[in-house]
Amino acid sequence: MNYSKDRSLKKVPKSEAEFDEQEISKDGKRKKKIRFKAFSRGLGIDMPLLFLTLIILSIGLVTLFSASYAKSYYDYGDSLQIILSQVRFAAIGLTVMLLLTFFDYHQYHHLAIIIYIISVILLLLVPIMSYEAFMDGEPVRWLTIFGIQFQPSEIAKFALILMFAHMISKRPTTMHTFRHGFLPFMIVFGLLAGLVIIEKHVSATAILSFIAILMMFIGGTRMRFFIPFIILVAVVLAFILLFSDRFGYALERIVAWLDPLNVQGGDTNTHQIKQSIYTLASGQLLGVGLGQSRQKYGWLPESQNDFIFAIFCEEMGFIGVIILIILFALLIWRGVYVAIHAKDKFGMMLGLGIIFQIGIQIILNLGVVTSTIPVTGISLPFFSSGGTSMTMLLAEMGILLQISRGSNINKA
Amino acid sequence: MTPQKTMWRKALVATAILLFVGFGAIIINLVRWQLVRGEELKSVALEQSLQSTQLTAMRGTIYDATGKVLAQSASVWTVILEPYSLHKDGTRATVAKGLAEILDMEEDYIYERASNKDSYYAVLKRRVESSVRDEIDAFMKDNKIQRGVYMIDDFKRYYPYGSVASTILGFTGDENTGLYGLEAQYDNELRGTAGRLINSKNPIGGDMPFQYEQFIDAQHGYNLILTIDETVQSVTEKALERGIERYRVENGAVGILVDVKTGAIIAMACKDDFDPNAPFDIYDEEEQARIDALPEAEQDEAYTAALNNQWRNKAISDVYYPGSVFKMVTGSMGLEEGIVNENTPFNCTGAYIYYKDEDPIHCWLRTGHGTQTFAQGLLNSCNPYFMYIGQQLGAQRFFKYFEGFGFAERTGIDLPDESASIYYDAESLGPADIATHSMGQNFGITPIQMITGICAVANGGYLIQPHIVNRIVDSDGNIVKTTDTSFKRQVISEDTSQRISNILQMNTEIGVGTATKGYVAGYRICGKTGTSEKVDKYNNELAVLAEGEDKPVMQYIASYGGYAPAEDPQYALLVFFDEPQKEENGGLNGGDAVAGPIFADIMAEVLPYLGVKSQYSEEEYENLDATTPSVMGMMIKDAKIVLEEAGLYYEIVGVTDNDNEVVAFQVPSVGDFIPNDGKVVLYTQGAENDAMGVVPDIRGYSVEEARNVLEEAGFQLRLQHGRVSESAIANQDIEPGTIERRGTVITISFADNTITETFQFSDGSEGSESPEGDDSLDE
Repeated sequence: MNYSKDRSLKKVPKSEAEFDEQEISKDGKRKKKIRFKAFSRGLGIDMPLLFLTLIILSIGLVTLFSASYAKSYYDYGDSLQIILSQVRFAAIGLTVMLLLTFFDYHQYHHLAIIIYIISVILLLLVPIMSYEAFMDGEPVRWLTIFGIQFQPSEIAKFALILMFAHMISKRPTTMHTFRHGFLPFMIVFGLLAGLVIIEKHVSATAILSFIAILMMFIGGTRMRFFIPFIILVAVVLAFILLFSDRFGYALERIVAWLDPLNVQGGDTNTHQIKQSIYTLASGQLLGVGLGQSRQKYGWLPESQNDFIFAIFCEEMGFIGVIILIILFALLIWRGVYVAIHAKDKFGMMLGLGIIFQIGIQIILNLGVVTSTIPVTGISLPFFSSGGTSMTMLLAEMGILLQISRGSNINKA
Repeated sequence: MTPQKTMWRKALVATAILLFVGFGAIIINLVRWQLVRGEELKSVALEQSLQSTQLTAMRGTIYDATGKVLAQSASVWTVILEPYSLHKDGTRATVAKGLAEILDMEEDYIYERASNKDSYYAVLKRRVESSVRDEIDAFMKDNKIQRGVYMIDDFKRYYPYGSVASTILGFTGDENTGLYGLEAQYDNELRGTAGRLINSKNPIGGDMPFQYEQFIDAQHGYNLILTIDETVQSVTEKALERGIERYRVENGAVGILVDVKTGAIIAMACKDDFDPNAPFDIYDEEEQARIDALPEAEQDEAYTAALNNQWRNKAISDVYYPGSVFKMVTGSMGLEEGIVNENTPFNCTGAYIYYKDEDPIHCWLRTGHGTQTFAQGLLNSCNPYFMYIGQQLGAQRFFKYFEGFGFAERTGIDLPDESASIYYDAESLGPADIATHSMGQNFGITPIQMITGICAVANGGYLIQPHIVNRIVDSDGNIVKTTDTSFKRQVISEDTSQRISNILQMNTEIGVGTATKGYVAGYRICGKTGTSEKVDKYNNELAVLAEGEDKPVMQYIASYGGYAPAEDPQYALLVFFDEPQKEENGGLNGGDAVAGPIFADIMAEVLPYLGVKSQYSEEEYENLDATTPSVMGMMIKDAKIVLEEAGLYYEIVGVTDNDNEVVAFQVPSVGDFIPNDGKVVLYTQGAENDAMGVVPDIRGYSVEEARNVLEEAGFQLRLQHGRVSESAIANQDIEPGTIERRGTVITISFADNTITETFQFSDGSEGSESPEGDDSLDE
């Protein structure tokens, strides 16, 4: 291993004391002050993670080109509309990513609360801006500000990760207590999750919950605190699913999940999963070939978006899918690897939060498409069309790569 | 463990769970869907995206023997709505309004049909003509409607000759399905194989890229070429209609003309019939009026009954007692078995005791025919003689021939709904049954069985296979199948056949036989009449007779079966009328009186048409008719030349002194029969109605008297089929009192002896008791 070239950070986190450097301030014996530095060059970025990201992004763009080809033509009269837009955002995202690899992640300590508050405000704006639809009980998820349409829940995920990373790193010794290690986290999480769920955005709520639990678990929160909470959530969830008109569709989706091929009638979502299975099954072992999907011609709804993976399955077959899943697994693994080798707790938690968010989204999306879990609207990172999501993801990868700069990994 | 290690451990555990559980479950599902059920689900997926538009196969054409089209399909269109697109484009109201006008439908109905917004297919109207399609296209274009309404190919069945041969042809229902007659019998051959246009359709309604398109051409149905000749069929049908009208026939009629050597049916006419272009309309207007007059509640039932009646092919679906026509069969048995020869004497006393001390059965001639030879017995249609033959044959031998002639089995004609016959078999034939069977009574066969039997008698004893379809050809004209015209078996010897023909030929000779009405000048006709009593019906009516009501009237089937020419039989014809009303038609109910003239009418027109050579005797030649040539529009001088060349006389009405006048009108009209020494009256311009006269009543006159009376009145006399008789004139074709132009030809026919050769039982009631109850009849 060779860490000695890092000049801005004299010591590579190796010992426990160094690793928990934030604890120092708590003790009052500040050994070292982190100075603001706009760009930290440090060691190189983690190449495997970068390449995995670029490979998956490329596969994603090619798949989107194929998957959106027909849809784009039907909707806009131009087969290239969707893919070109996506490529533009990918370019923006890559630029942001590269820039962020130079932006010292420690600065996010200062941004955590600000981003959190902005995120809460944006989430609040959603039902206000779409007041009528909201009151009609329709899902409201989008916000348009300065002509840019985006989902505030995307920002909320990052806000949660950042906030939790910040909080965990600030509580090196008290994470095991209810008062410090559970309650504040639940409040931070609860506010965001509550705002997301009134938008009827179940999937985002689920992702937030996964991120929260994973980060708290790793951060040191005692799992037993969760038990009553989980029971409470389960009861409330069951009640909502079974009796609430507002979430009545969920029950139908669960029924469709249990027997996806025999959905009679049903709404668009239950129809989706049936078509999704037809689509991926059509791929069989070897696939129908790149660009040869039949289901993309309007049969599979959201073929360019949440169900893009099914098109990939159809075109590339089982073998192609396994290769893709291995790539995804490698990406997640490498992300986790980079994160746990971060030089401090904040970096580790931030990195883990980011990679878990991506990993959870991938797994949930694949789970929906393969009918492993009930239908819910989750896009596939690096694949699904959507500019803000793409930019956001690449930006987060940029942060992860920045973390890798300071990590004690051999970057040959 | 250090906090850092703990966190590492936790992070790794979380990651491992995430990856293994998450991806593991996903991979398991992928294996399930892609590998295990891939093949199955792929085809389901393909199926849904491959929209297969059925391309209706053109149903085969049915031709008559001369190539005339009897049934043909023509392109029409089915209008289909695509509610999804109409909803999406918001064009539902416009389309409903526009189509309502074009298709003559209710706007609300169309609007309603397009109500299911998830549907892509709603049939709006079938069988729309191409002109309507063009209108719809224009409407769509004018209103800039791109989609939501489309039309697919379909076919409609046309029957150019209307009701002609309708009971043979049958008709088709929706979806190109044959429902009755040949359309049903040969449905598989006619139907063809529907083609498919398979193209990938996206659910939004557009075609997918072209590479998924597949076109499977519809295999057009095979064409049928019938043995039926439309001309002969029409002649037969018209003759039957005349007969029904003239003899007040209640229950319809049948006429079957068969090639005796091949079994090819040249004509098979049934009344009532229908128009296959509109099979669900009651063709008989009187019947329709009768149904309309019924109380509402009974109308449906009556309507259904009337439909079934008009669709039914009585020639193959109804059984009847053949009556004395059957005696030619019994006679053949007697000759074949050597029980009688032409000269075997038998004494008819007017009644015959067929078994020990049973009550005798009477001859139709109560006084008896006295001593007569077999030939005379057949000519007299003497009941006792045939009971005698039957008795001599015995049950075994009788039934052997009965079976041999095909009366115990369906003929297997290529038409649906052929009935089985009702008869006693060898074991159950008692003496009384043999006696009645020998006279053609007390067993039921179909007309097609009877004529098949007649053919066997005529053609040298060979039982032919009656058939309607001569050959089946594909749409390119290649022969797919030709009907085998070989005979089933030989029942009697050629010698017997020849001998019975010799006797039957005499039967149509005036003063000799009892079937003289079937005589046709120029042809040696073999004929046998039959008058069968509808005993069952009579008994049934008698059984439900209420106190004080009149006894029911015995109804008859008057039939005439024969063939020609006698020296080398070619065509057999059976005509029968079901329930002629003798109270209304002047006492005519016998086979000769009712069916005979119609038989002769048909034969006289058809035999020359079919190319059977005529041979006239001197007397016949004299009375021969000519056909009126056309002189209309000619100048008088040219007309004169034409008529002189034709050996006809002329008379001018109007301007008589100018040979350059134009003939404005002629009587008789072109093509009409005219006596071969008759005259054509030429009317000049403006004089068309100058010479009208009242047709006198000449019934009851002799020919000479009638000729004088008619000439006096300015008319001409013509003998039907050139036949003269000693007896008085019974019929004239134009009713007395009618106003007609000078020169009009009045055709007369004779009554002769209107024999009704029924059988009678000893109690004097005319056949009112059947020797056996019908419930003991075997099938």
